[in-house]
Amino acid sequence: MDTIISTTKLNSNEIFDLMTQFITEVIGEEFVEEMDITMESSFTKDLEMDSIEIVSFSEKIKTHFGEQIDFTGWLSNMDLDQLINLNLGTIVNYIEECQ
Amino acid sequence: MARFVFIVPPLTGHINPTLSIGAVLLQRGHEVAWISLDRSLEARLPKGGQLLLIEYAENDEQKQESEKYLDIITKKIVYGIDSIKFLYEEVLIPLNRHSYEGILDLLDQFKPDLVITDHQMFAGAIAATNKGIPYTTTVTAPAAIKVMDELPKIHEWEVNQIIALQKEFGIKREDSIACSELLTMVLTSRSFFGEMTLPEQYRFVGPVIHKRAEKTSFDWDKLEQGNGKPKLLVSIGTTFDHEHKKSFFTKVIEAFGGAEMTVVVVSDPDLFAGWPENFIVQRNVPQLDLLPHLDGVVCHGGHNTVCETLTAGLPMVVVPIAYDQSHVAGRVVRVGAGLRLNFNRFKAKHLKESVEEILNNMSYKEAAMLIGDSFREAGGTETAADLLEELSVVSIISIK
Repeated sequence: MDTIISTTKLNSNEIFDLMTQFITEVIGEEFVEEMDITMESSFTKDLEMDSIEIVSFSEKIKTHFGEQIDFTGWLSNMDLDQLINLNLGTIVNYIEECQ
Repeated sequence: MARFVFIVPPLTGHINPTLSIGAVLLQRGHEVAWISLDRSLEARLPKGGQLLLIEYAENDEQKQESEKYLDIITKKIVYGIDSIKFLYEEVLIPLNRHSYEGILDLLDQFKPDLVITDHQMFAGAIAATNKGIPYTTTVTAPAAIKVMDELPKIHEWEVNQIIALQKEFGIKREDSIACSELLTMVLTSRSFFGEMTLPEQYRFVGPVIHKRAEKTSFDWDKLEQGNGKPKLLVSIGTTFDHEHKKSFFTKVIEAFGGAEMTVVVVSDPDLFAGWPENFIVQRNVPQLDLLPHLDGVVCHGGHNTVCETLTAGLPMVVVPIAYDQSHVAGRVVRVGAGLRLNFNRFKAKHLKESVEEILNNMSYKEAAMLIGDSFREAGGTETAADLLEELSVVSIISIK
């Protein structure tokens, strides 16, 4: 299934849904149900993800898009402040531009 | 005989291993001193150990400032990646800047053959370098160097903070000297630390377990009354504030209050008006003596508690709060010795389910025992003392 999705170009809504799915896989469905995940949600403050959770989230994106997007490279170039303030919208835009 | 000096930050987890290594060096007839900002350290030093207090007596303002650093780390509610920024900008850099001049004076006074500085006490490395004294480094929070691999930009940011301070004190290098090129002792085993290529001066000596000299009283009778039922230790260390503790232990009570188990809690008993019948709550517990009697541990992922738990071969549930704890928790999960929960998100039922899982599924305990074996093989205190002795001999010969 992964390969089928990654060969077609996704619009920002579809990318958003996919990211929400990855977040759910990382932190667990029951927690996500209580959250209001939006494009503005920040990983550290709103989703309360710690560094290991952010790393495993980025691994999911890497596995999904493979060579198509250098997501971990992009993420690992962020400095501390950027990482603290990173929100879902920034990631959705990045993926959309890269496709 | 050689003269050793440890340079330590006012953080219990970083100090305790040096007390054990220092005790062995003293037993072997060496002179050993500790440079610290914390006057109360004197009472905890092994017999024969000297405290060299960083003091700026001529100026009251500076003196007051010294006291401010002792508990600075407990003053702010921090969580996740945000805590790394806080740790460097508000704790480590000001603390090291403040300590530097005092360390210089004390090195002149004590004239050590070898300096052993904590990896977060970079002022020690800078001072030793500027004085031309050989230094080694103890990495008491090994997960901190693992960050290099997992989040390289964060590591780079940390290193840049250190480099800026080095330049302030006249060291014109573009790399951090916090970890010694002579010997950097990483206080864990390679199998717990995980795969990572490190320079050869990094030696995995295993955790240095610190046995407190003083006897801590404990309600052993009550622990034995729960005969046959599982026994659990719950501790989130000493550095976190009241609100963190309150929200955490509320969930612990909900999860295990009245359950068929005995729960030993490390906390101020006054945190709540009452605790469930099956709880034993003490501000301090004799953790090393206690662990062999238990079945599992719930903790925040502080390096020392995790190492002591694994040494005892016990499975655990790790609920990391800040700093490097997320990485420590990640390692516990990776080696199969336990499960992790998210501090802010978990609910009582998740804690209950996770504890049941680590107690009932023996694979966690087996993995913990394997890591415990790797710690023993790494050598610990004696090995660390051997390495330091070897270097001190080299250093004395080369100077004289």
